Amino acid sequence: MRKKWLFSLLIGLLLFPMMLCQAQAQVKIGLMAPLTGSWASEGQAMKQVVDLLAEEVNKAGGVLGQPVEIYVEDDGGDPRQASLAAQRLSTRGIAAVIGTYGSSITEASQNIYDEAKIVQVATGSTAIRLSEKGLKYFFRTSPRDDEQGLVAANTLKSMGFQKVAILHDNTTYAKGLADEAQTLLQADNVDVVFFDALTPGERDYSTILSKLRSAGPDVVLFTGYYPEAGLLMRQKKAMGWDVPFLGGDATNNPDLVSIAGKDAAVGFMFLSPPVPQDLDSPEATSFMAAYRAKYQSDPASVWAVLAGDAFKVIVAAVQDLGSTDSDKIAEYLRTGLKDFQGLTGPIAFDGKGDRVGELYRVYRVDGEGNFVMQP
Amino acid sequence: MQLFLEQLTNGLAVGGIYALIALGYTMVYGVLKLINFAHGDLFTIGAYLGLTLLLSLGLTDHLGPLAGIAVLAAMVMGLVAVIGALLERVAYRPLRTSPRLSAVVSALGASIFFQNAVMLLYGARFRVFPHDLLPTTAITLFGVNIPVMRIILFATSLLLMAGLYAFVQKTRTGMAIRAAAIDQGAAKLMGIDVNRVIMYVFLIGPALGGVAGLMVGLYYGQINFTMGWVYGLKAFTAAILGGIGNIPGAMLGGLLLGVIEAMGATYISMAWKDAISFLVLILILIFRPTGILGERVADKV
Repeated sequence: MRKKWLFSLLIGLLLFPMMLCQAQAQVKIGLMAPLTGSWASEGQAMKQVVDLLAEEVNKAGGVLGQPVEIYVEDDGGDPRQASLAAQRLSTRGIAAVIGTYGSSITEASQNIYDEAKIVQVATGSTAIRLSEKGLKYFFRTSPRDDEQGLVAANTLKSMGFQKVAILHDNTTYAKGLADEAQTLLQADNVDVVFFDALTPGERDYSTILSKLRSAGPDVVLFTGYYPEAGLLMRQKKAMGWDVPFLGGDATNNPDLVSIAGKDAAVGFMFLSPPVPQDLDSPEATSFMAAYRAKYQSDPASVWAVLAGDAFKVIVAAVQDLGSTDSDKIAEYLRTGLKDFQGLTGPIAFDGKGDRVGELYRVYRVDGEGNFVMQP
Repeated sequence: MQLFLEQLTNGLAVGGIYALIALGYTMVYGVLKLINFAHGDLFTIGAYLGLTLLLSLGLTDHLGPLAGIAVLAAMVMGLVAVIGALLERVAYRPLRTSPRLSAVVSALGASIFFQNAVMLLYGARFRVFPHDLLPTTAITLFGVNIPVMRIILFATSLLLMAGLYAFVQKTRTGMAIRAAAIDQGAAKLMGIDVNRVIMYVFLIGPALGGVAGLMVGLYYGQINFTMGWVYGLKAFTAAILGGIGNIPGAMLGGLLLGVIEAMGATYISMAWKDAISFLVLILILIFRPTGILGERVADKV
């Protein structure tokens, strides 16, 4: 008897949310982000940005007269969990999916979305090969590593460095960028005196710094992520070594300065797409005002803002097309969308689904710990 | 030569932390034959509790930096010890008579619980200790520049380990712990309250792990909720290397692992650092299956 009762309760619990979903027609957009795991801060910021924008759209009457609903799945920053998340999302009837952050994580989900004919707009995945597979439904609002490698090599050359040390962390992204920069630098007869990887997630990098110092570089190019970059800067200062550091775009996170401390972080340079704080377009300023009003802080990083851009292009496509048909959206993003004003500047996609245009800028950390865009 | 000495100090500093955490694994294994996978997360909790107490109580303002940190360390040790004892009560004691695998699964569950609880309480972003707490002076020994804090850190680890060793070897409670490690049934027959001994083990191990977390937070400045995973794994390796269940073995294993890592990174390849350490571990286990100082054979898990 008791079992029967429990059973019907369970069925009821299952049916209830289903009925709620049926009650209203919606434009459904998926968000796949690392809400847990070591990139959780990125993923939670992605969700904050997308939630904020969806709220704004719904306040303004929604899309095609229907409210936008965001379906969030956690990919945990882990390829295995990402494929499960992608499978779950593709059964929810979503028009398109935003995400995700890490390249190897996105890669695990690409084919699942492609088979389900769902448009995927990745936000932080910069690995080259993701868009070289000829997938029809894949786009990204982030730039590609080969562009960043080129900018890194050019920046180092224009600053006149002769002996460059390159340090990566063996992730798909960091190693790809490091390889790219090394090839370009060596082609221009710049001496690469050191090329090796650290293990991310550790606390003590003195061993690596001692070894780096013994190679005697003019500058260190670090292509890994901000937690390690912050620790490297801090421990470099503690050992009294004064060498300039240039970071890749994964070091663009305000936590870099809090980890390193202002006096150790000063002078650190990195490449990054511009953060909305530095852009004076009306889209960027109104977004920053709304974000600060809701969350009392600036977005954690530019990657979360690129998730906002992904949301905006999807909504624009659905709005202009008057349809949530995936084939039409994909076609529209490739050919119809020109100079769309996003949060990080104008957005358009090429035939491969990559974002077109020069996006990278050089930033430098000043004495107050602010990221200052270099002219 | 200078590079060698520099890397030796780097390795010893990291190894000291590994050793402190490894003690927690090895003590629990010695008495219960259980790998306490939640130990790395107790280390994380120590770091976070230390940060909270430091910021909210302002101990270093009232007592000066060194005394303040000493009081802070004592408080963290106490609190993490209580959490450790509670963990044993809730997650391990009910499974004491179950097959060993159940306890291991329970330990993994506890680890996931702690990690996510810390994330929900403190957020997923990196938390940072105040930067101006510790002196940043360095001294030069044999041409090697060593920050004073590194030496203090290492000395503190050694002091805590020596204290534990003396406690286990010289006191009656320590003798009871050793007896329970050899044979719980016989220890019970000799009038030793085994439950109480196990509680002591779960007070001491977590206290050392927690204070190691505080030391890492204070020295490296940056903590996050996943930090316990890497340190836990390395410390577990150190415990195996030295011979799990053996207290001096954990100390030796920790220091050795730190030095092997530093030397492998310097003279072979940095990217292969972990592969080299684990290769050394495998080699040692082939020739000495019980670890360097181990006596008993670890038969399961």
